[in-house]
Amino acid sequence: MAVLPLSTSAVEALVLGLATGPVCLASCGPVVLPWMLVQPRGVRGHARQMSLFLAARLVGYLVFAAAIWFAGIALSRSWSGRSWLFGGVQVLLAAGLLIYAAGWPRARCSIARPRQELVQIGGASVDAARPRATGALVLGFLTGINLCPPFLVAGVQAAGLPSLAQALLFFAIFFAGTAVWFMPFVSLGVVRRTSSFITVARMAAALLACWYGFTGASLLIEKAIYG
Amino acid sequence: MASSAARTRPPAFRSVGRSILLTVPVAMWALLMFAPTFRAPGRNHHLGASAVIVFMTTLFFLMMRTGKTYRWRRYFFVALGFLFPVGFIASLVAVRGSMSIPIERMVSGDTPFCYMVIPLLIIPAALARTLIFPGSILPTASNPHSIAVMIGLWLAMTLVLGKAWCSYGCFFGGIEEGFAAASKHAKIRKLDARLRLVPWAILLFVVVLSAALFEPVYCMWLCPFKAVTEYPAVHSVETAIQMGIFIALFAALVIVLPFLTKKRTQCAYFCPFGAFQSLFNRINLFEIRFDRDKCVDCTLCQTACPTMALSVESIREGGTLLNCMKCGACVDSCKKGAAVWHLKGTKVALKPERARLLFLYGAWAMATLFGGSILASSIATVIGFLPLR
Repeated sequence: MAVLPLSTSAVEALVLGLATGPVCLASCGPVVLPWMLVQPRGVRGHARQMSLFLAARLVGYLVFAAAIWFAGIALSRSWSGRSWLFGGVQVLLAAGLLIYAAGWPRARCSIARPRQELVQIGGASVDAARPRATGALVLGFLTGINLCPPFLVAGVQAAGLPSLAQALLFFAIFFAGTAVWFMPFVSLGVVRRTSSFITVARMAAALLACWYGFTGASLLIEKAIYG
Repeated sequence: MASSAARTRPPAFRSVGRSILLTVPVAMWALLMFAPTFRAPGRNHHLGASAVIVFMTTLFFLMMRTGKTYRWRRYFFVALGFLFPVGFIASLVAVRGSMSIPIERMVSGDTPFCYMVIPLLIIPAALARTLIFPGSILPTASNPHSIAVMIGLWLAMTLVLGKAWCSYGCFFGGIEEGFAAASKHAKIRKLDARLRLVPWAILLFVVVLSAALFEPVYCMWLCPFKAVTEYPAVHSVETAIQMGIFIALFAALVIVLPFLTKKRTQCAYFCPFGAFQSLFNRINLFEIRFDRDKCVDCTLCQTACPTMALSVESIREGGTLLNCMKCGACVDSCKKGAAVWHLKGTKVALKPERARLLFLYGAWAMATLFGGSILASSIATVIGFLPLR
């Protein structure tokens, strides 16, 4: 790959991020949406959680950028390596979502176990529980190293850059382009939380955990058997 | 003996003459709908259309005569549920030689469109201007059930009737309603009220995952009715797992549980399209209300409701939950006349029969147009199988 001037690479990274952002959004949506819906109401709280999520996601991006720069373009193109990583990340995401689905940590969350009589959609709001940063950081990092198609395109570009700093910068700018698309999730903070609402979000998180667990385990088993 | 029976028989809701008069528009509509069938050649299709015209008109007459809705609607709905797969499978076997759809036919856009996919299309269409269903947008000679036709029909009917689609239009719900009706008494009576939230969770699950994977996840993995319609050809472990899921869900949610609970369990506790339809109840004119002056909180209506769309709280508040399918079971079961059909914006129980009539004309027109045409074609198929000259 021809070495491009830094400014050209930066513009390319930003445009790539902005252009492929909807795909990133769709790709991370199954993780972000149920997790955000479980959070208590409030735009400020959602903005804080989303900031933590994106910060952890940025760390994931930079880790991947460093790995791909050292390993070269082969890592991005290697189906075998991708399968192991992808399978492992999927299983970890499943575990993360299951934790949310189970309503952990119960001690701090008054809405972990909705009472049976409060099941009417549009019922009374429930008390807000204080969210923890751990979930945002773990899910953010895992989605940051989850190999979605735009991520691989950016990986191919970054692998050919002349220095590690440039590769990191490329991914940081690419991240900024994609991060814009995540801002609408903050607006979920205005939605009123009811016991039913939280239950639905938890059930959806459990279903998604099953899905990620199934796909991740399938990939790992396939790799273990067929190599 | 005869005089004793006459004494105990409840008085007819409406005279025969008035009932016939009110049924005339429905008969005219049915004739209009099937006029093209009679103009085209094909004895079996003529017989099918004639049978459906008589069937739908008679049921509407009985609704008018007796004042009962659910009881007569159920005959139509169960017939639709059981006859739809017959006609559909027969046409698949005739065209393809198998119920399974090969990948090349999917690629060429030959998959008939199913309304279950509609909520899954929205996000990919908005984000990437992509339709994630392997069907054609406009009707073609090989696939008249195109995306545009089905969405247009569904939207028009849903805007007018709300979630009544699930009781008068859906060609799947009748199967479980049939199995629910086959059981004399419910063997399982206590059901966790939280179960009615499951369709919303499945809706959220399939919508976000379909957007992520750019494929209709519900059709690929979760639709119980794939077991009696069409499914991807089994050629790998993955497709075998999919087939196993379809069969297990169908057996559990459509056959066993409806029989044990006397409820439409798939519709009430699983169907994501039903949850999506519930949203349209908010903007729809027709609803069921409870006249609190007459209601004695006997909860007969709650027991009768096939989809758990009533709770003690909602009855006390004088209405149903969001997932009411307007089947009329609660109104039919109420001995005090407290459960009534209602037109939003009017006073509750002021003229409930007028609201019922307005609703039923719309619902029965939809049923005749959509379900009736399916019934007619399925009857024609069945006649084709009979050893008649």
